[in-house]
Amino acid sequence: MNRRDKLVAIVGAENFSDDPAALESYAKDFSLQPAGAPEYAVKPKDTAEVQKVIKVANDHSLPVVQVSSWVHFHGATIPKKGGIILDLTRMNRIFEVDEFNKRVRFEAGVTWEQLTSHLEKKGFRIMMPLLPHPQRSVLTDHLEREVITNTVYDYGEPLQSMEVVWPNGEVFRTGSASVTGYPDSPSKGGNPAGPGIDFYRFLQMAQGTMGVVTWTNLKTEFPTQKDKMFIATVKDLNMAMEFLYRILRIRIGQECLLLNNTDLAAIMATDMKKEFASLRASLPGWTLILVISGHFRDPDGKIRYEEKALNEIIKKEFPEISFSDNLPGLPGSGQKLLGMLRQPWPKEITYWKNRYKGGGHSLFFITKPTLAPKFIDKMESLASRYGYPEGDLGIYIQPIEHNRACQLEFNLFYDPTSRPEVERVRTLASEGAKTLFDQGALFTRPYGELAKLVYDRADGYAAILKRVKKLFDPKNIMNPGNLCF
Amino acid sequence: MAISKEAYQALEAIVGKEYISSDPVICEGYRSGPGGYECGLGYERVMTKIPGCVIMPRTTAEVQKIVKACNRYKVPYVPYSTGWYGPRSHCHVDDELLVDLKRMDDFEIDEKHLYATVQSGVIYSQLQEEAMKRGCYIIVGGGGSQCSAIANMLGDGWSPLSYRIGLPHRRILGTELVLPDGELVKMGSLATGEDDFWGEGPGPDLRGLLRGFTGLRGCLGIVTKMAIKLLPFQPERLVPTGISPHTTLELPVKRVKWINFTMPSKDSMKKAMFEMAKAEIGGGATKVPIFWRAIAKANCKEEFWDIWSQENEESIASFHLLRVLLIAFTSEEQMDYEEKILNEIITELGGEARRTRPSDESWFKNADSAGMWLMCGSYVSVDYVIETLEHSIPHGENYAELKKKFTPPLMPDYGDPGWFQSFELGHQGYSEFLVYWDPDVDTDGVDFFYLETSKENIRKRFYTSLLGPHQPLYLTGPAYGPNYHTWLLKVKDEFDPYFLCHPPVPLAHDAFVEKAEWMRPMKDWESPEIKHSS
Amino acid sequence: MLKGKLKLDVTNLDNFEYDMSKCIKCKGCTWVDHIYMPGMTFSTRCPSATRYLFDSYGAYGKMRIGTAMLEGRMDYSDELLKILYACTLCGACDVGCKRNLDLEIELTLEALRIKAVKDGKGPMPQHKKLAQNIAEKHNRFGSPHANRNNWLPKDVKPAEKADVLYFVGCSAAYTSPEIAQATAKILKASGTPFMLMPDEWCCGNILYSVGMFDEAQALAKRNVEEVRKTGAKTLLLSCAEGYRMWKVDYPKLLDIATDDLGFKVVHLVEFVDELIKKKALKLKKKVDLKLTYHDSCSLSRLSEPWTPWEGERGEWGMVSPRLERRRGENGVYQTPRDILQAIPGVELVEMIRMKENAFCCGAGRGTKEAFPDFASWAAKERLEEVKAIRAKAIVSTCPWCKENFTQVLSKEGENVKVLDISEIILAAI
Repeated sequence: MNRRDKLVAIVGAENFSDDPAALESYAKDFSLQPAGAPEYAVKPKDTAEVQKVIKVANDHSLPVVQVSSWVHFHGATIPKKGGIILDLTRMNRIFEVDEFNKRVRFEAGVTWEQLTSHLEKKGFRIMMPLLPHPQRSVLTDHLEREVITNTVYDYGEPLQSMEVVWPNGEVFRTGSASVTGYPDSPSKGGNPAGPGIDFYRFLQMAQGTMGVVTWTNLKTEFPTQKDKMFIATVKDLNMAMEFLYRILRIRIGQECLLLNNTDLAAIMATDMKKEFASLRASLPGWTLILVISGHFRDPDGKIRYEEKALNEIIKKEFPEISFSDNLPGLPGSGQKLLGMLRQPWPKEITYWKNRYKGGGHSLFFITKPTLAPKFIDKMESLASRYGYPEGDLGIYIQPIEHNRACQLEFNLFYDPTSRPEVERVRTLASEGAKTLFDQGALFTRPYGELAKLVYDRADGYAAILKRVKKLFDPKNIMNPGNLCF
Repeated sequence: MAISKEAYQALEAIVGKEYISSDPVICEGYRSGPGGYECGLGYERVMTKIPGCVIMPRTTAEVQKIVKACNRYKVPYVPYSTGWYGPRSHCHVDDELLVDLKRMDDFEIDEKHLYATVQSGVIYSQLQEEAMKRGCYIIVGGGGSQCSAIANMLGDGWSPLSYRIGLPHRRILGTELVLPDGELVKMGSLATGEDDFWGEGPGPDLRGLLRGFTGLRGCLGIVTKMAIKLLPFQPERLVPTGISPHTTLELPVKRVKWINFTMPSKDSMKKAMFEMAKAEIGGGATKVPIFWRAIAKANCKEEFWDIWSQENEESIASFHLLRVLLIAFTSEEQMDYEEKILNEIITELGGEARRTRPSDESWFKNADSAGMWLMCGSYVSVDYVIETLEHSIPHGENYAELKKKFTPPLMPDYGDPGWFQSFELGHQGYSEFLVYWDPDVDTDGVDFFYLETSKENIRKRFYTSLLGPHQPLYLTGPAYGPNYHTWLLKVKDEFDPYFLCHPPVPLAHDAFVEKAEWMRPMKDWESPEIKHSS
Repeated sequence: MLKGKLKLDVTNLDNFEYDMSKCIKCKGCTWVDHIYMPGMTFSTRCPSATRYLFDSYGAYGKMRIGTAMLEGRMDYSDELLKILYACTLCGACDVGCKRNLDLEIELTLEALRIKAVKDGKGPMPQHKKLAQNIAEKHNRFGSPHANRNNWLPKDVKPAEKADVLYFVGCSAAYTSPEIAQATAKILKASGTPFMLMPDEWCCGNILYSVGMFDEAQALAKRNVEEVRKTGAKTLLLSCAEGYRMWKVDYPKLLDIATDDLGFKVVHLVEFVDELIKKKALKLKKKVDLKLTYHDSCSLSRLSEPWTPWEGERGEWGMVSPRLERRRGENGVYQTPRDILQAIPGVELVEMIRMKENAFCCGAGRGTKEAFPDFASWAAKERLEEVKAIRAKAIVSTCPWCKENFTQVLSKEGENVKVLDISEIILAAI
């Protein structure tokens, strides 16, 4: 049997494709990465089929690019060296919601839309990044460490134990799911660590290069019972950063983030054509969004003491800060925003990063909040130098864990049908990355050409990574060409 | 000389004469036993050796050079921060170099960004005090304030305060690791810069090489520097008071408070923990074994036994003490709020508050962990595992049953099922089972029990912390993963081709079972021949 | 002896086999009590472990070495003797260990030295010279015995007979006479008649400390008998080392309890405290000084009275009859502080390591004589704390501390006064 036939035998003809037209949807994505050329696409239904596909890939030294989401933004799933697209979107079972231990277990193909609505019915929520695309894989976004909007939980890392198919086709469970017979065990999968070494760490931010994660356990939270929105206009970003150092450290708030007017307008506008420009013009340069919430048992009491502490700090130390429950001039906007923060982006609306011009490239990195204003100044000056329209830069600052760090994200909007715009954004993104990297920006998720930039400097780290990768994937079949592999 | 003259000279050239010795008296001071954690047992007696040489580096560069010299001259070596963990942190083969890291005590702290950078010689109480001076705190692991912060962060690192702060893995930031072949890998933000504030990446996270839940006992290299996440605390000082042995931290009760509750049943304790987590209140929540109350009350070993001998299975089974920590991070009003909610929960569940001293000597600065040896002169934890609360409780009960078969020589504990705690706001639960015995009688039964617990975990499908180097690898390996051991050994072989870094770990317990005559009958699993060193 | 008959008898190392074998390497003997841990600086209280770094120099190393000696696996060597003797026996390890456990570390260290001497290997050569001086001239300096009372000020006349006998000690008699003079003047000012020993000999602190048990015992017998003959009810000392020797080690040497000596042993600070309470002494004169108080080991950690004990060790290591352990909790910590704080003008600032956490001055128990560099180093370490709190003076209750600090300061050229508490008290009368 040739390799094509083997693959068909595993997944069935209806779940196999080598039709170039059908493969084209895997060949490119919303990123600026050049298109790739997969040979096959298969859609397994379960772990056993995944294993068999991997074995075939090994036997024939065929690259495997796993795809769990329906949309992609970073180019990680564009095959760089041909091979098989391992499309996991059929694997979309939610196995169990464990109320007592606040846990949900689900497959790689489960999307944000699917999971959040399922959990809502069960009386749970999960920590969200900012407005994730509804058709992205929740598992993948967690593996890739999308930063959450909630700054108050001390333990971070919502991922718990998971199942992976190694590049040699063996199934393996990490953490406490590694017990024989899981989930038929007293072990519920609540511990991601071990056994022996911390396998889960190798799988994070790996862009599918280390193995195929087929399901995971994830922490859930109970929904808040009451919420109060605090929205402030920010003129002085340095002052706002100091304010966040102060209040987030004493654990005020759940969600907390900063958006500039461009990003916020792209999020809030109901009708882009009619509203975006005027909304952007009317919104302040920066908006600080803070949600204070109460849980079960006297939610008002919690909100009360946090709000009191917040007001005392503002009065004594930051009189320039003035909170309201809505965006200026937009009644009801506070509640609208709150609802949005707790849900994925609505499926029926073009994704917010693509709403403005059709295309959007995100350049994001980790830094210390106190450094964010300096990076912003630099990026704005680069934008000007490369002819990027003034005021078109979308900027999002996400404080992390009591503001000990933050993710700073620049959204570069462009018309994907306009070659000059595409090239301008490509150049700005590239030059921006280089300049900011030299100034200390920390690119922990090096997609596309960021990988070379990062790993040229982190050559020692890359060398060890390659040695570890070789142990798991001696034939380098897992998404070759990504990262430093 | 125990190691070759050439090797000694090469090593001496790295650190200077003053910081290296192969004098037998100096080396004898580094003996593992006869007292200590897990000491006096078969593993310690059979597997540990006096070092052939001791060296004390000061910098990462020196450590790297030492490791490279060991590779050049084929000198086995073991990293040693405090030696507190017992035999598994000591030399296991003849003519081994012990790398004593105590001179490496650099310390920096960035209170604004909530992290401190330490070298291996810094211990928890130092770090905790520096953190608390700045309105922050850390978890001091159950091993106590005397643990090297790095060593404990690699192998343990939890306490009842993990109710908020969670797995220690999450608190390891930028880290330097000298691999067994002498390569230096800088992880997290250190990979691309000088600031170690961030732990992940770039890309796949090589911190996966560090722990594997409860550590690799130093067989996969030497961590020379680590940035550790601090957590924001509250502003009032915990005041040290008293004179030894009665020293304690006085708590500022408007901001930090322990409250003990007697509860009607174990199930009600479990529910209380669940409700607390649901209400998202609290800074710590633990069931307290009655045993520990006896230790706290006793003025001496004999008094402990006076108290303990009054107990029986019934009194143990009917004693349910829940100890809750409240921390008002935000304001004093938070304390009022949380105490109100807590009392509401406890009342609903039929519990009652007991008078509780407004002080702490066990958790913020764990100053009394050495007291675990008071009763018998011996101690080991045969399991300490983070999973879920629904795993923790039956896990402890199962141990209690198994333990009865090995009592004596184990100390009678009347079926006490050990600790259980709620971690990470109810997402996890913790169980720990500590055992004690008279080290001056036949202790073979303890060795049997230790191994039997591993088999029991496998039989009953419990997760366990005692994987990797802690139990026979070829026993646990096939049962977890499955076959995690094959990957661990591949990693080990890749980075330690000459098997010089702490041989024969991670196969030391396998070797023990083969070497110790009384253990051989327990071996009912397959394994290849265990090589001890190259 | 791990099980069976047991005695707190330092002449037989077997008695401490259990203690040595049960050291768990927690290093409570080395670190400051973790409750009081001040952070990254001033975090240890064992001078030997801090200076020499190898584990063998800490009590946790010595316990293992002692076990090896008992098992016949350890030959004597220069390094072994250094490990045994480069140690001030300050008691920090004993107190540190006993915070959580019931191990007799201090007694074990004493027993190790006694064994070394018995085995013909100890003490250090410098100690042998001191022993010779004591044997011949009844003082450790080898100075003329006839000069022992030369310190007496002209205006102070000891009584022929009194309830209080002031035991001066070699240091105050020969090298720190200002301490003896201040003490005598304090007694006079309070209207307390006192006598001296008709023929005061060295207390034998060095002899006992370096393991010369027989010689120390002979001296103890003689000295106790001489005091008893005087009918004194109270033996007063202004030297912490001497105080410990009389109160703790003499009973130990004679296998009796402190209470059975036949007289009370008090330090000057205890006596002054009583005088103040009885209003027999008023400290009214202003002494404008920002000072710090150094807890001399022998007055603080090591000063609890001695009770001989013998019995058995059985199951779980329990001993019977019940043994009331000396843990340092009831040492003389607060009394000198109360006195200092009662003096107008004095600003008492505490060092970071205080009371049972104090860092030894480095001089005592034979250390300075055999390892002068180590003793200087320890004093320098302690003086760093004085600098850190910007005190202008350091006050102690022992001439050993005073002399060692003074020597180091004069070399360093630092502007810090070194005073004995007797001098401050006198200045305030």
